[in-house]
Amino acid sequence: MLTDGGFWIVQILNSLQLSMLLFLLSVGLTVIFGLLNFVNLAHGSLYMLGAMIGYSIATATGSVWLSFFGAPVAVMIIGAVLYKLLIERMRTAGPMNQVLVTFGLIFVLMDIARYIWGTDQLGVTGNIPFYGTIEVFGQFYPSYRLFIIAVGLITYAVLYVLLERTRLGSEVRAGVDDGETASCMGINVEATFFGVFLLGCALAGLAGAIALPAFSATPDMGVGILVPTLVVVVVGGLGSLKGAIVGSLLIGTTLTFGTALIPNFAGIIMYALLVAVLLLKPEGLYPVRA
Amino acid sequence: MSKPIGSLVAAVAMTTALTGPAVAEEFKIGVLLPFSGVYAALGEHIENGFKLGLEHFKDDLGDHTVTMVRDDTEANPGSSLAKAKKMILQDKVDAMTGIVSSAVLAGLRDTVDAAKVPLIVANAGNNMMTGERCSPYVVRVSFSNGQVNRPMGKWVYDQGKKKVYLMAPDYAAGHQMMEAFKSTFEPAGGEIVGEAYPPLRGVDDYGPYLTAAKATNPDAIYVFFAGGAAIKFVKQYHEFGIKKDIPLYASGFLTSAAYVHVEGEAADGITSILHYTPNIDTPENKRFQEAYQAAHGKVGSEFSAQGYDAARLIVEAIKASGGDKEAFKTALRNASFNGPRGPMKIDPATNNVIQNVYIIKNEFKDGKVHQSVLDTIENVQDPVSGCQMN
Amino acid sequence: MMTSERLRQLITFVTFAALVGYWSTTGYFGYELIAEIAVFAILAMSLDLVAGYTGLVSLGHGALFGFGAYMFGLFTVKLGIAPATGMAAAIVATTICALLVAMVVVRVHGIFFIMITLAIGEMGYEFFFKYRYLGGDDGLVGLPRLDLSGIGVNLSDPSVFALAMIVVTLCVFLVLAYLLRTPYGRVLTGIHENPQRMRALGFPIRAYRISAFALSGAIAGLAGTLTAQHTQFITPQLLHWTTSGEVLVMIILGGLGSLVGPIIGAAIVTLLRHELSSYTDYWGFWLGVFLIIVVVSRKDGIVGWLDYLRQLVAERRRPETAEEA
Repeated sequence: MLTDGGFWIVQILNSLQLSMLLFLLSVGLTVIFGLLNFVNLAHGSLYMLGAMIGYSIATATGSVWLSFFGAPVAVMIIGAVLYKLLIERMRTAGPMNQVLVTFGLIFVLMDIARYIWGTDQLGVTGNIPFYGTIEVFGQFYPSYRLFIIAVGLITYAVLYVLLERTRLGSEVRAGVDDGETASCMGINVEATFFGVFLLGCALAGLAGAIALPAFSATPDMGVGILVPTLVVVVVGGLGSLKGAIVGSLLIGTTLTFGTALIPNFAGIIMYALLVAVLLLKPEGLYPVRA
Repeated sequence: MSKPIGSLVAAVAMTTALTGPAVAEEFKIGVLLPFSGVYAALGEHIENGFKLGLEHFKDDLGDHTVTMVRDDTEANPGSSLAKAKKMILQDKVDAMTGIVSSAVLAGLRDTVDAAKVPLIVANAGNNMMTGERCSPYVVRVSFSNGQVNRPMGKWVYDQGKKKVYLMAPDYAAGHQMMEAFKSTFEPAGGEIVGEAYPPLRGVDDYGPYLTAAKATNPDAIYVFFAGGAAIKFVKQYHEFGIKKDIPLYASGFLTSAAYVHVEGEAADGITSILHYTPNIDTPENKRFQEAYQAAHGKVGSEFSAQGYDAARLIVEAIKASGGDKEAFKTALRNASFNGPRGPMKIDPATNNVIQNVYIIKNEFKDGKVHQSVLDTIENVQDPVSGCQMN
Repeated sequence: MMTSERLRQLITFVTFAALVGYWSTTGYFGYELIAEIAVFAILAMSLDLVAGYTGLVSLGHGALFGFGAYMFGLFTVKLGIAPATGMAAAIVATTICALLVAMVVVRVHGIFFIMITLAIGEMGYEFFFKYRYLGGDDGLVGLPRLDLSGIGVNLSDPSVFALAMIVVTLCVFLVLAYLLRTPYGRVLTGIHENPQRMRALGFPIRAYRISAFALSGAIAGLAGTLTAQHTQFITPQLLHWTTSGEVLVMIILGGLGSLVGPIIGAAIVTLLRHELSSYTDYWGFWLGVFLIIVVVSRKDGIVGWLDYLRQLVAERRRPETAEEA
């Protein structure tokens, strides 16, 4: 098995796919985390809402494609409401209070979803874009997985350009480094932060909508995904785009090859990796504020 | 702890004995199910089935009545125990039913045994609870993990599959189901070419496991997964295009009627084994499915059927007891009736149900998954493995 | 006028009086609730020592709690040691475990500390989930209770057990309250408030943090042995990070860094989850809303709210007395 070239090719693709899924989830969190200095534990719940709303859009219109656009927009609107109601006034409340408010929000959003969508497993089966199996280097591989990999890479590229190469990006970074000076220079720090928060929400919604055809959706899916997402963010280092992509690749690859090679330890690989990274680099691999 | 509960219940029993069996009795039944948390969907299905069962068979009660108290176990053994004690001590229930998680059942066993309040298990399948840890007060109307997998080993071997790869989540139920399969597959002459036990939670990608399984070149793969994991697994098995070379056999929970529609096309071609499938052709099942679908707008799953049969069992026992609450406890262990699943009988030696187990064919046509009975293994009875009723 | 210090003493007195009052009037189910509240109150105070007073917010305390319970199970059920000895040994084992963990984790801070303790806790959870010798995911049954019949106390009586649990909670409270007044306790608080200054003053900060974490582990281990004796059945669920999260919620609801707050928080959360869940399947929603309201009000929990009311009353009274004079 281990000398079979096809085995390794498929596993590499598997690890890339898992990494990109983790990246889509964690990048929204890390952007909010690092740039706004805000701990949003309810990020996983936004992912869940993305999947649920994606399900409703796909079943109502018969188009899964539409859900990839509709769900992020809807989750962004929910995010805007949450920001105005709660998040804004928690901006300066300290990380502990933020953790608890958003922890409370997890339960609230989960029960609201349960009320609206019920507890049964939901999923889409028809009209899935890129559905099927294609041949890669002589190996059969699900094409939807390649689509997930592509979405992850495109998202990374867009964010890279947006945050590192545009005026908006420099405004955001200025606001983070020194909010007061930035606002003196005419940058509307509050508006910029609001925009970044909405971007993070949309990314969570997108991740949910993209994951739906591959998995299924239940109201508690946001809780299950929370810890792996936090692990990626913390391993990569808070707030840096580079950290999110490196953290995702590191965790995705370790999980995939770890489960294939030492299946008995599959459950703890991720945690062991986190402990190891934090002991070597107590602030993660690429912290935004060194 | 056991003493005060025991004497209390004895006192309750005495007072009821004095009033005599001819008078109309109220039977208070505690329903312990997860209404929140990971098993919430199962809790809902079982409760819906249970209520429908009470409604269908209430005429058999005569003058007696059944009232329900319910509480949320949230798949948390610690708080379930407190809630069971509340039902026993405060609500003074005559019996309890429900219980989805085996860990919750394991935690409750000693308490119901000491209090002598019957617990009618409507899901949790751990073999031990009708095996080494059996109790006269724990009656299982659902299934045991061994029961619904054991026949499949020989059946798969008889299909000409000599080399099989096994896969199940790494927890007690997963291991028990795979052991049951092996216990008939290996003696028949089959060879297990590999096994994998992924963690119960947190696996989004079965790709690495599937790639490794394929590399061992088995004739077939036999698996158990449930809930979200089952859907992921089935979809991924399908997408990797392995099914045409290596057919998939499974515990029927993989393609449960509760969520097989979410698997859709991916479920096509899977052969599974379970104690219930919605298309069993009997009048009892027809009545159950028609009423259930009318009330809830969806197919009654095996979980709903388990709840329905739990209600039926309670009604049957009350009928047999003539209203005497001590006789009710014994009657639970000797009941037999035809449920949606077919003929059912509680085995007094283990208190596990004796029932048919069905081999089910999953086909995808006209945009829907069709499940049909391929073969029936009749009256499957668990061996008395270490169970000693006191 | 009442001082903040006096108010807390009053709250503590009222809390314990309420527990004893409830105990004397309630029935069987009430005893169960009291025992559960006491277990979580002790665990919450243990976490308050590190999170509230030392500034180390741990999400691995559930794991220490479960570890204590499992060690008690190992010593008594598997090795046949007497419950009293087993309990002591389990607490020692948990303390050593906490000490070893602390030596590794105190070098990271803030959210990283939360995550590293969560990760180590989850590894513990996975271990007990898979370790069949101690029951694996099915849990371990048949745990004994302490035999105190020698001094005329029958712990198998639910009422006696509940009262004993209140007494243990009070003892833990008194020990911790005393400890925090000693120079050692004041240094801990000082490190939390201003680590640079304390370092400049020559205090070995690392050693203080490690020792506080180990001490907190000892108390979490005690809580673990108590829950094992209460339910006489344990599962790996005790070690899961959600247990730690729930305890953290208790502390914040009651009032972080107030020692009595965690007891109140434990009582509120336990009562809410048992009472609400019999009225609605959506009890998580209401618990979440309640938590959000308490935190958004930013008064440091219930103890903070009471202190705020005290100030309001004091401010109102002041002008009145001024007029009279």
